[in-house]
Amino acid sequence: MSKKIGLYIYTGDGIADAVDVDKLVELATGDLNIPVVRTHDNLYSPEGAAMVKADIEKEGVNAVLLAGLSPRYEFKDFDFPGVLVEKVGIRELVAWSHPVNPEDENAEAQKEHVQELAEDYLRMYAAKMGKAELPEPYKMEQVNQRILVIGGGVTGLTAALEAAEAGHEAVIIERESELGGHAAKYRKQIPIGPDYSHLADPIVGDLIARVQANDKIQVKTGTEIARIGGVPGAFRASLKPAGTKSEWDAPVPLTDEEKLDENGNELSAEDQKKKYDEKNEGRQDYMQEDPSAEVFGAIVLASGWTPYEPADDEFPHLGWGKNGVVTNWQLEEMASSGQIKRPDGRAVKSIAFVLSPGAKEDDADFPYASAVTSLVALKQAKMFRESNPDGRAYIFYQHMRTPGQYEYFYKGLQDDAGIFLTKGAVTEVKDGAAGALTVNVENTILGEDIAVDVDMVVLATGMVPTTRDEAVVNLAYRQGPAFRDLDLFGGYCDSNFICFPYETRRTGIYAAGGVRRGMTIEESIEDATGATLKAIQCLQAVDEGHAVHPRTWDYDFPDFYFQRCTQCKRCTEECPFGALDDDEKGTPKPNPTRCRRCGTCMGACPERIIGFKDYNIDIVGSMIKAIEVPDDDEDKLRMIIFACENDAYPALDQAARKGNAWSPLVRIIPVRCLGSVNVSWIKDAMSSGIDGALLLGCKYGDDYQCHFVKGSELANRRMENVAETLNSLGMEPERVKLAQIAIDEFDKVPGIINDFVEEIVGMGPNPFKGW
Amino acid sequence: MAEYKRVEPDLDFIKGVMESGGDTLNRCYQCATCSVVCPLSTPESPFPRKEMLWAQWGLASKVSGDADVWLCHQCGDCTAYCPRGARPGDVLGAIRANAIRYYARPRALAGILSKPSGVLGMVIAGMVLFFVAAALWAKVTGEAFPFPEGYVEYHKFLSVVPIDIVVLPIVGLIAWACYLGVRDFWGDIYRGAGLPLSYNGTASSPSFGILMTRYLWPAIKEILSHERFKKCGQTSERVKGHLWALWAFIILFAVTVYVMIYADVLGNLWPKAGFHTPLPLWHPVKIAGNVGAIMLIAGIWMIKTMRENKTREGILSSSTQDWILIWLIFAVGITGLGAEIIRLAQVKVLAYPVYLVHLGCVITLFVSLPYSKFAHLLYRTTAYVHQHYAEDIRAGKAGFGLEKPGRPAH
Repeated sequence: MSKKIGLYIYTGDGIADAVDVDKLVELATGDLNIPVVRTHDNLYSPEGAAMVKADIEKEGVNAVLLAGLSPRYEFKDFDFPGVLVEKVGIRELVAWSHPVNPEDENAEAQKEHVQELAEDYLRMYAAKMGKAELPEPYKMEQVNQRILVIGGGVTGLTAALEAAEAGHEAVIIERESELGGHAAKYRKQIPIGPDYSHLADPIVGDLIARVQANDKIQVKTGTEIARIGGVPGAFRASLKPAGTKSEWDAPVPLTDEEKLDENGNELSAEDQKKKYDEKNEGRQDYMQEDPSAEVFGAIVLASGWTPYEPADDEFPHLGWGKNGVVTNWQLEEMASSGQIKRPDGRAVKSIAFVLSPGAKEDDADFPYASAVTSLVALKQAKMFRESNPDGRAYIFYQHMRTPGQYEYFYKGLQDDAGIFLTKGAVTEVKDGAAGALTVNVENTILGEDIAVDVDMVVLATGMVPTTRDEAVVNLAYRQGPAFRDLDLFGGYCDSNFICFPYETRRTGIYAAGGVRRGMTIEESIEDATGATLKAIQCLQAVDEGHAVHPRTWDYDFPDFYFQRCTQCKRCTEECPFGALDDDEKGTPKPNPTRCRRCGTCMGACPERIIGFKDYNIDIVGSMIKAIEVPDDDEDKLRMIIFACENDAYPALDQAARKGNAWSPLVRIIPVRCLGSVNVSWIKDAMSSGIDGALLLGCKYGDDYQCHFVKGSELANRRMENVAETLNSLGMEPERVKLAQIAIDEFDKVPGIINDFVEEIVGMGPNPFKGW
Repeated sequence: MAEYKRVEPDLDFIKGVMESGGDTLNRCYQCATCSVVCPLSTPESPFPRKEMLWAQWGLASKVSGDADVWLCHQCGDCTAYCPRGARPGDVLGAIRANAIRYYARPRALAGILSKPSGVLGMVIAGMVLFFVAAALWAKVTGEAFPFPEGYVEYHKFLSVVPIDIVVLPIVGLIAWACYLGVRDFWGDIYRGAGLPLSYNGTASSPSFGILMTRYLWPAIKEILSHERFKKCGQTSERVKGHLWALWAFIILFAVTVYVMIYADVLGNLWPKAGFHTPLPLWHPVKIAGNVGAIMLIAGIWMIKTMRENKTREGILSSSTQDWILIWLIFAVGITGLGAEIIRLAQVKVLAYPVYLVHLGCVITLFVSLPYSKFAHLLYRTTAYVHQHYAEDIRAGKAGFGLEKPGRPAH
């Protein structure tokens, strides 16, 4: 498209005081050759927008650059159809972050630095405007609106009902022969609303009835997933009777270990292929389409949990294996069958619930325990007491977790004179007198170490997510049938818990209920509603051709220049969302509706053949090269910062807002994710004489905060290549660094940037400067 | 190896506390706000948090061995600040009510006297007893029965001799019951406080002289001035009525002792010397008696009003025991004063029956001393004494040779 650029410089909020705006205009109209340049002291107003609109209509401007507020501020007034709009935050990045005190003796020199900074930003963004194109949405021919719900417990039933009520057809797949899941086996349940202080009657029967009466919902019991292929908007699910094998079972890729021979050397591609074929014998290739598969637009994963079963030799100090020592699930089953008694027939007049197995050494609760475990102990104690007015129920806990309204549940059940609660470390369960079990508890709130005799001991074990032990969704994806890296979450199906509930690392599949974390029935219902809404949003996004969370405004999608692809498979392997499949030769097959537009593939590609319309290797490279690097001024070294848009850039904005100043020698380029930073940009920077580059991104590791899960981690791994490259050029590898920052750590911004600048200044100028 | 203390919650004890006004007991979640806001709690042995926990767990022996329960005057500060509505003030009241029953000898009497019907029965029984005594006495004196001739003078109906014959054995028995209760209580709280036992495992107590001068007298002084009760925040208004009632009892007790010496002893030694009741209205002792009676009625009425208000405001809750004691004391006061007024008005048919009712109420109040809420007089005083004594033992100033200089207390 032939572009006519309009530059609009905002002069309010101290910008005009910090920089010489006339000089900026001069630069823009002169060197940068921008045809329309205007200034406005109240740009972000209806008048400002009208000014821009007039230029679009009368002057034919079709690429608008707003120099003023941070791009993180959204002004709908500046959304003009068919017009490329770009924003550069000179208020935050120049004016607010570089205050100059006129009393300072070197105030003039400082002002010069600030002016150069502002001018560089104009150059960089003018370069970007020259290269960027207006994105065009990817439109599928047909977006299937049906929602597949995996699991027919409370979560799945609710999800199907919610989907149906929102107008979507839903299909529930349930492995068991009956709907209802675990909730169908309870005698009493934790309340799902006021009054919270008493046990409630199970509600699952009502849900089942509503599902069965709903003609938009189809139920398939005794059924499980063989494979799911396809993309959001057109998932293809091959179903099969539960527990059977099928040729459409999803093939499983070789693990890293399986790719090695006995000596630990990597097998040849051919041998790997052979091994893969052996492993997946009788299964169709993952790219093969099952003609009889059912098509769905989106999926809600509600496969729930299984009760934790201690191994035979587990918890010996708690008497596991003794007569009368049971898990909470075993007790639940006894309660629903009507009688709580020991296998040896002894009547149970007193029960001790043990919530934490670690004795004195460790106060953690049982594996996969949660607040639900505390609540269930309370519930079971009350159920027992209701049928045993003279019975005693002891609850020994290290953590009594009754969040939110459940505090009323705790309070209500506490009122029972026969329920005894204390924090304490259960050190031993042993045989007591006359068939009783003696429970020893240390460090109780009674101020003493106590022993109680009971007839039964209940271990309050946890709820194991089904995704810990099996793939469940059985995806026919290049990256394999299961969700990746769930071990980070102990097998719970989650991607980034804090920021994106329900999200999984497979676009279009949203997890809810016990598969995501231990939940009560009330929480599962709420969770199912949320996940269903996400699934519906996803269908809408696919329909409109934009990305799903977290880049919902983004109509762009990656473009591959396949002629130059070397089939190195980096993009297919590194894509955090499994968006890329591949063909026999290993050429990537993009699935745009699976893509979340993070650009990790672009950062990974050594051939630099992947890019977006408004964000690609060339655009960012041009921005870097547009920076004016003084050749022989040691006071004016130049560093570049690639700042992640998700957390690092907001932290910069906030730092500027709070007046935390940083060095004027750095130029900041926002990137979608550190994963999208291509090594070629570093080379570009170094070869254009820039003295250092800092990658500022989210925290990675076990407690990662990356919005695209793997971006900053991958960037860090790629730094090794960068160091090698720098070494080969005879430069210090320390000129390129990666720093991690959280969105709320604005106070650390000046320290991180200034330390880096100081380090580079210490190293001296880039030896390639001026070449 | 840790020593594990075997714990077996006493469900009946918990139910007992919950039924005597402590039904909120189990709401406590051990935040200790109560112990912090309590104006009477001490840093060395804060309450009522620990008592709440022990009671929740049905640890009857722990609770009964705890003197701190009796240092509480139920001002309701803890109840007002409790974030969970566990009402520790009321629970402690319930625990005290239970403790009184626990130390009562025989316990059955406490059961009877904890019900309004039992108290009424006791009043009637007392009236019958005195009526029978009066009938028999009429045979001795030759006076007309039940309405003696001439001016209304109560000694004609029932003089001090038969009254003493009836009352003194009861006084002896009640004193014995009080002694047993206090003795057991002392042993329990002494052990409960973890103070050193003697070589044969008994609790120590100060010798009589030291008990009186060093411990009981300071405790009584505190009680007479209501020094601690005055610290109460939420229900400080209760102090005035209680103080009036207390002083009224003291005055009336002194009057009774005077009259006993004057009429019972001197009057019987020299029957002709005129040492007999009623005393003339101008007589200082008579004036004191009347003032005492008015103070008693006014004081108990203040207590009643205050309790009603505070109960309505939710600051404290009131149990049957509380109302029984209030109405019994009121009945004693009003029948006493009423009997005197009617006597002065010379309404014979009313005077003698009212006098009989008064005697029934007095004897019931007296009998109920170790069995009803009235027993707080015994146990709270004992707890005060114990507190001072325990302080001395811990400071190495009393008991088992700990007074030796330089010997640390433990």
